[in-house]
Amino acid sequence: MEKDKIYENVTQAFRKVLEHENFNLKDTTSADDVEGWESITHMMIITEIENQLNIKFKLMDLMNMHNVGDLVKSIDKELHSN
Amino acid sequence: MNILSRFLESLQNNDARKSFCIRDQYYTYHQFAQVISGVRYRIKSGLNETRNNVAIVANDDIETYASIFALWLEGKAYIPISEHTPADRIRYILNETNCTTILNSEVGFNLDTFETIGTSGARREILDLDPTSFDEERLAYVLFTSGSTGMPKGVPITFKNLTALFTAMDTQKEHQIQTNDKCLQMFELTFDFSVVTTLYPLLYGACLYTIPKDQIKYFYIYKLIIEKKLTYLVMVPSVIHYLKPYFSEINAVDVRYCCFGAAPLDETIATDWERCVPNATLYNSYGPTEFTVTTSYYAFNDNAEHRTVNGVISLGKPLDGVVAIICNDLEEIVPLGTTGELCLAGAQLTSGYWNNPNKNEQSFFTKELNGKMLTFYKTGDLCIQDQEGYIMFVGRKDFQVKIRGYRVELSEIEFHAKEITSGLNLMAIDFLNNLKNTEIGLVIEGNQFDTKLITNELKKRLPDYMIPTKIIFAAAFPLNANGKVDRKVVREFFE
Repeated sequence: MEKDKIYENVTQAFRKVLEHENFNLKDTTSADDVEGWESITHMMIITEIENQLNIKFKLMDLMNMHNVGDLVKSIDKELHSN
Repeated sequence: MNILSRFLESLQNNDARKSFCIRDQYYTYHQFAQVISGVRYRIKSGLNETRNNVAIVANDDIETYASIFALWLEGKAYIPISEHTPADRIRYILNETNCTTILNSEVGFNLDTFETIGTSGARREILDLDPTSFDEERLAYVLFTSGSTGMPKGVPITFKNLTALFTAMDTQKEHQIQTNDKCLQMFELTFDFSVVTTLYPLLYGACLYTIPKDQIKYFYIYKLIIEKKLTYLVMVPSVIHYLKPYFSEINAVDVRYCCFGAAPLDETIATDWERCVPNATLYNSYGPTEFTVTTSYYAFNDNAEHRTVNGVISLGKPLDGVVAIICNDLEEIVPLGTTGELCLAGAQLTSGYWNNPNKNEQSFFTKELNGKMLTFYKTGDLCIQDQEGYIMFVGRKDFQVKIRGYRVELSEIEFHAKEITSGLNLMAIDFLNNLKNTEIGLVIEGNQFDTKLITNELKKRLPDYMIPTKIIFAAAFPLNANGKVDRKVVREFFE
């Protein structure tokens, strides 16, 4: 899957969980930049992405995820491991 | 021996051992003692009044933990406040407790005329650890919990209460901590569980591992468990709810003790978690803030088949010295196996809510039991006691719910939401999200409008865990056969 397409999916998951569209996701975007993206909604976003793309993140990867770039990288990794 | 003396003895005996691991940095008991002495020095130089209560901003650093003991050595009680708590609420808490000074280890927290003493970098080579005076009847801390009338209630706890708690815990050897234990401390100081997860390891010379504020708690906890090989865990059940999708990856062989508390523990998830910590003995615990943290324990080991009601694991049996009875509305003890309100008496009981005679009248009563007059606290928890003395949680009597372990009175949220919307008909309700964690929803009767104003205004008045995560509109509230709002149906709007 192209990076753009991954971004599209990620953006969709954010919209669905956070119920707003006031964000523009980039590699460097972190929780501080997006209203409502905190520890509780983070897990819901992760679950949403997993269901949407039919992938499963590794707990170790989730632990070391600091921004959207890390998230996209992990998605890419999981998509290719299948 | 009193708690402060026991702590000081432990400081001395464990001088070279590790006391804290904060953001990967270790501090020995000796270094901790130096920080306590340093903070104490600043308190002595900066605190020029006779007030007994001093606030501590609950940060995650060594100075914040040291502040507790520095204040105790100075004969003062601590009032923990959180930077996430709105200013108005903090003002209320400080004014209520006649507190004019705030200890803060970080810069940038200023509140009106309250005097701030910075504690960052406080260290003294020469230790100053003799208490100015000590009295068991003196307050150790005052915690504030959600109140149904729109304002939080203060719960004062004395050293006597603390001594009773730790003496009772000590009689149950299985909870005892060893000097080589690595203990999780996941609670902010505003949360009463932090008293046990901080003080208990320190009394036994063990090392505490804390969670930085900017980290996602449940991931960081997992990271600590694996990378630091934690052995002793005390957690809220929501941590394992978040980790559940990844249980198959978890094999934490170093954990030897794992205790849950502060919210109902679901049997299914707890037994699944057991496989993730194969060498641990598991416990559930229970206790209201008013009864000094912990009242009862349930040991998984003692029960081949778990004792449950509606899939929720038993709260266990009362600790030594705790008198637990189940009563009806007339404050009469109900027969075993019958649902009633759990009421508690004993030396761990608070003297009553801070400046709140009305609430005290409602929540406390005296009753003669086996020839003794005892003061009981009505927990508001509906429970059943079985033939063997195990207490089972059935539900709440009022509209109090637990959000991430914090107690929340739904009526407190409704009170503020009504005020903000000039009296619209609305209802706050707890519901389970798809990760089986409790969230708060707000239903407003009437036509839809932009709810941003409500949320923003609520954020100015209430701590973050009390802010509804979803707000929806309904043409009319669903009613049950008795003409009351049917909360079950309202809850389904969100689930």
